[in-house]
Amino acid sequence: MSIQSLIMNLQKFWDDKGCYLAQSYDLEVGAGTMTPDTFFRVLDERPWRVAYVQPSRRPTDGRYGKNPHRVQKHFQFQVIIKPSPSDIQQIYLKSLTALGINLQEHDIRFDEDDWESPTIGAWGVGWQVLLDGLEITQFTYFQQAGGIDLFPVPVEITYGLERLEMFMEVKDNIYDLNWSRDVSYRDLRLLEEKEFSEYNFSYANIKRLREFFLLNEKEANQLIDKGLLLPAYDMCLKCSHFFNLLDSRGAISVTERVKMIAQIRSLVTRITQKYVAKENFS
Amino acid sequence: MEFLLELNTEEMPPLHVKNALSQIKEKLEAELIAQDIDVVQIKTYGTSRRLIVIGGFAPRQKNRKEEIIGPPKAVAYRADGSPSPAAMGFARAQGVKVSELKVIKTERGEYLGFRKIEKGKPTGEILSEILPQIVSSLSFPKTMRWGKSSFRFSRPIKNILCLFGGKALSFSIAGKHTCDSTSGHKIFFPKKIKIKSFPQFRESLKKMKVIIDPERRKNMILSQIERKLASLKAQLYPDDELLEQLTYDVEHPRVLLGSFPEEYLELPLEVLSTAMREGQKLFSVVRGKKQLPYFLGVADAFQDPKSLIRKGNERVLKARLEDARFFWEQDRKISLKDRVNGLSRIIFQEKLGNYGDKTQRLKKITAYLADKIENREVKNQVIQAAELAKVDLLTEMVREFPSLQGKIGGLYAQEEKYTAPVWKAIYEHYQPISLSDESPLTLTGAILSIADRLDSIMGALGMGIQVSGSKDPFGLRRNAHGICKIILDKKLSFPISRLFDKVLNVYGERLEKSKDEVKTYCMDFFKNRLQYIFENQGYRYDLVNAAVSAGIDNIYFSYLRLKALDSLKDSPQFEPLILISKRVNNILRDQPLSKYKVNPEILVEKEEKELYETFSIIKSNVLPLISKGDYSQSQRIVFRIRSTLNKFFDHVLVMTEDKRLRRNRMALLQDISKLLSRVADYSQIVIEG
Repeated sequence: MSIQSLIMNLQKFWDDKGCYLAQSYDLEVGAGTMTPDTFFRVLDERPWRVAYVQPSRRPTDGRYGKNPHRVQKHFQFQVIIKPSPSDIQQIYLKSLTALGINLQEHDIRFDEDDWESPTIGAWGVGWQVLLDGLEITQFTYFQQAGGIDLFPVPVEITYGLERLEMFMEVKDNIYDLNWSRDVSYRDLRLLEEKEFSEYNFSYANIKRLREFFLLNEKEANQLIDKGLLLPAYDMCLKCSHFFNLLDSRGAISVTERVKMIAQIRSLVTRITQKYVAKENFS
Repeated sequence: MEFLLELNTEEMPPLHVKNALSQIKEKLEAELIAQDIDVVQIKTYGTSRRLIVIGGFAPRQKNRKEEIIGPPKAVAYRADGSPSPAAMGFARAQGVKVSELKVIKTERGEYLGFRKIEKGKPTGEILSEILPQIVSSLSFPKTMRWGKSSFRFSRPIKNILCLFGGKALSFSIAGKHTCDSTSGHKIFFPKKIKIKSFPQFRESLKKMKVIIDPERRKNMILSQIERKLASLKAQLYPDDELLEQLTYDVEHPRVLLGSFPEEYLELPLEVLSTAMREGQKLFSVVRGKKQLPYFLGVADAFQDPKSLIRKGNERVLKARLEDARFFWEQDRKISLKDRVNGLSRIIFQEKLGNYGDKTQRLKKITAYLADKIENREVKNQVIQAAELAKVDLLTEMVREFPSLQGKIGGLYAQEEKYTAPVWKAIYEHYQPISLSDESPLTLTGAILSIADRLDSIMGALGMGIQVSGSKDPFGLRRNAHGICKIILDKKLSFPISRLFDKVLNVYGERLEKSKDEVKTYCMDFFKNRLQYIFENQGYRYDLVNAAVSAGIDNIYFSYLRLKALDSLKDSPQFEPLILISKRVNNILRDQPLSKYKVNPEILVEKEEKELYETFSIIKSNVLPLISKGDYSQSQRIVFRIRSTLNKFFDHVLVMTEDKRLRRNRMALLQDISKLLSRVADYSQIVIEG
């Protein structure tokens, strides 16, 4: 039992359901939702099925490797299916069965939890899925992204891989998990968590972070004007990451937070509008 | 005939289920009645995954009888008694035989015509037409779309079962066609089965681990909880909201009793119960006021054969409690006092500054209020509490569990050995959260809560925020309700207009609107809220108006006024007094307010002298009573003016030619009216009959 086999099982399952297995995106993102394989592909009307692992960074969640279940980088298994199939809930439950979980011996609950990401102008309706009280999945019907109504409606299923694996291995400490037969989560990630916690909370240079943010914003604007929307979106992701770092450095006041989120959203909204116009034209 | 509708959906929020069920019931019943279909009964059931309606309806619409009127009898027959062309033409046009025509008497005379009977349509046909409309018209706090449809509903609809008289009705909603089958619990019995009747539906679902009746599920939860707790001699820490939520969350409740390590019992009850409730939806278990190391959960299952559900929940809870304990220990490393400066880092409201500014204002407002209530003792305590009230917003605990704000600050203050009036004030200052919640127990808490809320209200109004209809983004109504409730519960007597002035002065130049504007709006706002609260308590609306229109500057007194009106409204003296006070007001109505003082020297008639004397005595008796707030005694005394006033009207001409006398008499009536209006605004009272 290992995270690696968990990933392989999920990939096998969703491959059988016709999903394209994407590789992780190569930029820092806060959630699998933000990568182009989700963000751009939900905007148009064409069917889309994709599944991938995405490392997700939340700088403020860093705990110097000392907290048994909180880390500043974790791994999500992201599934997007558009349009949402009518039996998607049953399919999802089957994916848990496929992992070897006998649902008849557990309590599985879909608990109201609507999702929203103001930075990319996206929101959806759905649940957090609780397995014996443990949150293992976020299950969302996307309603909007980039500020526009989505049609057809995509469904997003995001498994929290560490949570799920802690459940499977019956372990109380994230670092005790097996990544593979021989390599533990501790071996792979503990040093990273320690060093990045130091960076996120103490050593990320606030002045330079603000400059990075502004530079990337400028670059994004320039690229949008040129109609290079994918590179422009990359710049937005970078802005979002620098924003998160500034936040974990405690450098953002409440007013400033609102302002910076609005700055990123306005870029993303412009990208969305141009992208949709292009799509409709082609 | 039996009607059964079941909409099977993905998990809806409990509030959505309850709202939708009552809407369907109401709309369906109204529609059937409008369609002339007899409704024997109509009832709803539901879970988070099902909206269920059952009913007994007549099999068809009632037949409609109609009289069709033709030509007047006079022109309908020829002289020989045979039908005229007019009669034959009418019969032909209507498709009836001439021999079927009868003479019908109307108000305008006798006509030829016939009774037409239109057969009612089968109810099933009508149901198939109206149900899609009713279901699509249901309103939810938030809706969504799914798949390739633009239909909006609370959550995706998965199956529609609809039977009438044992047969499936045919219609579609959101692209789903109706059928005669349903499925059971999503984990245990997902396979579809055929349904023929409601009793079979209910029994089959029960076998398939779905209990459709919320009342039944709630009772199952409660009785299982009772059984689990019996051996422990313990009680549930009551939480009706959580119980209600869980009742709808699960289709088949299975209560589980779990435990956590005793070491976490060092955490306060508030922290433990919040950590359990939020996220995992667990109840805490207490003996008396003491927390026990147990919890109760409600699983959507009928068994826990390997105790996996219990163990899983125990592990998750332990991690949460570990977090909570970490926060509890970390937070207390910095004293509340040392955190005060940090308040300037968090924004209260963008234009109104930060929580440091708010804290400074609260200190001034609470000091003022303590003086007004003439309780010097609390003054220092409440200022101290005001300084620390918002500090817990900077703690990790509130960051993790926002609902603990206030309470946790109070508990930290208690740990730091602040006196009870201080830490309790902090603890209680967000109370009451609604009109049904408890007001703060301490006077310090009451003062702090009033100050905090009024600061928020006037700040928002001062920035031009308005409350209208369903729009109240800053919760100003809730805050005003809180203030009124505290004043009434704690019997606090002080002029609120002066408090408004104080708050406005404390804000100084910060507000965008002028002070007068804010004050006027605020007074009106409170008047409306108070009316709402009183009417909500069941008082007659006109009595409420009479009490409130006489002034709400002293909110507690306006309540006493209302109570006096309410207790005396059935007295035989009540109506006559109202009538005569209306008579006084009618005379004064079109006259300019006079500054002229009554001159007893020029009272000439016996009746006006008597009135003057009686009034003077009443006035000297009533004024001190009013200032004490004793409105029932005031009213009883005021009743006594009636007979002399009646005599006065009977014998004295107010509008006499003599200008001096007239002015004097008007002045006397004006004094009387003024006094009456201080007891209540009688002109608002409606007299029936």
